[in-house]
Amino acid sequence: MTPSAPAAVAAPAVRLAGITKRFGDTTAVHPVTLEIGQNEFFSILGPSGCGKTTLMRMITGFETPTDGSIELAGSSVDGVPTRKRDLNMLFQSYALFPHLTVFENVAFELRVRKAPKRELRSRVEAALNLVRLGHLADRKPDQLSGGQRQRVALARAVVSRPAVVLLDEPLGALDQQLRKEMQIELKRMQREVGITFIYVTHDQEEALTMSDRIAVMSQGRLLQVGSPQDIYDRPASTFVAAFIGSCNVIPAVNTGAPGTVTVAGVGPVPAVGGDAALSGAEVWVAVRPERVAASAVRTPGAAQGTLLEAVYIGDRWRYVVRLGEATVTASVDSAEVSPELAALAPGAPVWLSWRPEHARVLTE
Amino acid sequence: MDRVVAWIARLVFVFLYVPIVAVIVYSFNASRSTSTWGGVSLQWYGELFRDGALLQTLRTSLIVGISAAFLATLIGFLAALGLSRYRLRGHRFVLGAVLLPLIVPEIVLGAALLSVFSFADIRLSIFTMVLGHLVITLPLATLILMGALSSLDPTLPEAAADLGASPWQTFTRVLFPLTRSALLAAFLLSFTTSFSNIVISTFTGGVGSTTLPLRVYSLLKTGVTPEINALGALLILLTIGIVSAVGLRQMRRILAGSTPTP
Ligand SMILES: Nc1ncnc2c1ncn2[C@@H]1O[C@H](COP(=O)(O)OP(=O)(O)OP(=O)(O)O)[C@@H](O)[C@H]1O
Ligand SMILES: [Mg+2]
Repeated sequence: MTPSAPAAVAAPAVRLAGITKRFGDTTAVHPVTLEIGQNEFFSILGPSGCGKTTLMRMITGFETPTDGSIELAGSSVDGVPTRKRDLNMLFQSYALFPHLTVFENVAFELRVRKAPKRELRSRVEAALNLVRLGHLADRKPDQLSGGQRQRVALARAVVSRPAVVLLDEPLGALDQQLRKEMQIELKRMQREVGITFIYVTHDQEEALTMSDRIAVMSQGRLLQVGSPQDIYDRPASTFVAAFIGSCNVIPAVNTGAPGTVTVAGVGPVPAVGGDAALSGAEVWVAVRPERVAASAVRTPGAAQGTLLEAVYIGDRWRYVVRLGEATVTASVDSAEVSPELAALAPGAPVWLSWRPEHARVLTE
Repeated sequence: MDRVVAWIARLVFVFLYVPIVAVIVYSFNASRSTSTWGGVSLQWYGELFRDGALLQTLRTSLIVGISAAFLATLIGFLAALGLSRYRLRGHRFVLGAVLLPLIVPEIVLGAALLSVFSFADIRLSIFTMVLGHLVITLPLATLILMGALSSLDPTLPEAAADLGASPWQTFTRVLFPLTRSALLAAFLLSFTTSFSNIVISTFTGGVGSTTLPLRVYSLLKTGVTPEINALGALLILLTIGIVSAVGLRQMRRILAGSTPTP
């Protein structure tokens, strides 16, 4: 089970070449170059205001890029109006037409594009069945719940089988329970209908569980593009490490010794990937809390710190430890907490360790 | 205290409606004088419809009113669309410019229009009068339609375009059905504004473009005739028709300045 971009036999569904957007003198999107494969579930993840929506709006054609060019399925769409692009957008507000029934909302595109009458009914019904709303075809949007509206919007976006569907935080307005259900539903649908999904979210868990690939954005720039495992286990920068899941980012110095870097007040700690940095350079070590082992007794190769806080969160214990000048969190499975460790009080010495391959040296 | 208020309310109602009722009652008075009651008769209505000159002015008023209302609704819709959709440079300035005629005294507007027309050597006619009426009806129509459009989800037109609709299809399939009642309200209010106008008509009308209000006004100089009562009764009927077409709720919303719901 290695999710990766589907084999690039055909042209990519979307190709962005140096796409840029400036509003006056603020740059919302710095040049972005990216290829999104056919049938790929591609997520764009980033904090609020980082340019996700702007990037999507350029792909749909609602915004004209200041610079760069866009290709859909191998042909340039620069200057092509939205209605002539083979893609649909699912708006965060759903944008259902309030004066039309569920059926007519879904049928809108087929009617506008003059699909044969005979086909229309069966295609709309198929799309409604896909989102399990066949029984509500005659309702108006204001007679539906939030989740149902969301499904209607989805049916409307896929009824014409566009090559690409763009979803801008489609689950943002739903409660936790419904979100989880819809995540599964969306993923199922995307697999069934075989459409490229470009999915904007700022929920990193959502991105990790659903995507084939994820692009992490910050301040209008693409920081890293890769599979969920890549992004989670091999973050390319401290921003990505800290943004996806929780991660300890510990300042250190590269001493040139292979396999270790030096943390002030602690000494050498194991970490991989330091070769890229110059000797003597300031770097960071990124290590996930669940990869950090904590011990109440001195262990060879472990770094000694001071316990600041121990928090019980059901299946795990969270130990917050002062390590030199840094604060490091270790998340330990409750079943593996030794009696000595469980007995520790704040202020007591703790020894932290991790496997070298679980700690990465980051230079930015 | 409450009873005092209730009585004042009743008095206001009497004050508002006595003239209206009086006009209707006297329009059926067989006697020519308002001081005597000569029994019920439809003779003034008959005379009204035989008065060719008066009917001609009614025709002029209808043509001017319908043309001005149509243009005001059309241009007002486009202006409202532009002003509510796009953050144009000078957005506030344009809005101010469109709405200014609402507060400029009509007499000033009329005089200004007249001097523009004579400066540009345009002969006064029905056409110039329609332009004059457009100046006073456009702000009304724009305000009503801006209210309706700004209460719509701004992503709806984008969604329509995304689903393959051309700008025209977006209008006919989405914007028009959702703003239908506001368009009707804008048209009818523009029409009544134009239809009852005297000042602008005086300045911008040419020879042969006398409107009904101008004609009535000149007739009144020689005293109220029963014929005018009959005309007044008919106009009241027309107004009631318009108000019920727009819908009382809609009317109240518009006059209260809030947005009419689609
Ligand atoms: N029409 C516009 N005019 C000027 N600036 C804009 C415009 N649209 C977006 N911006 C700016 O561009 C930047 C990116 O906005 P964008 O809406 O793409 O962010 P986002 O990543 O979608 O954020 P969120 O998660 O909050 O939706 C923001 O700083 C925003 O203020
Ligand atoms: Mg956004």
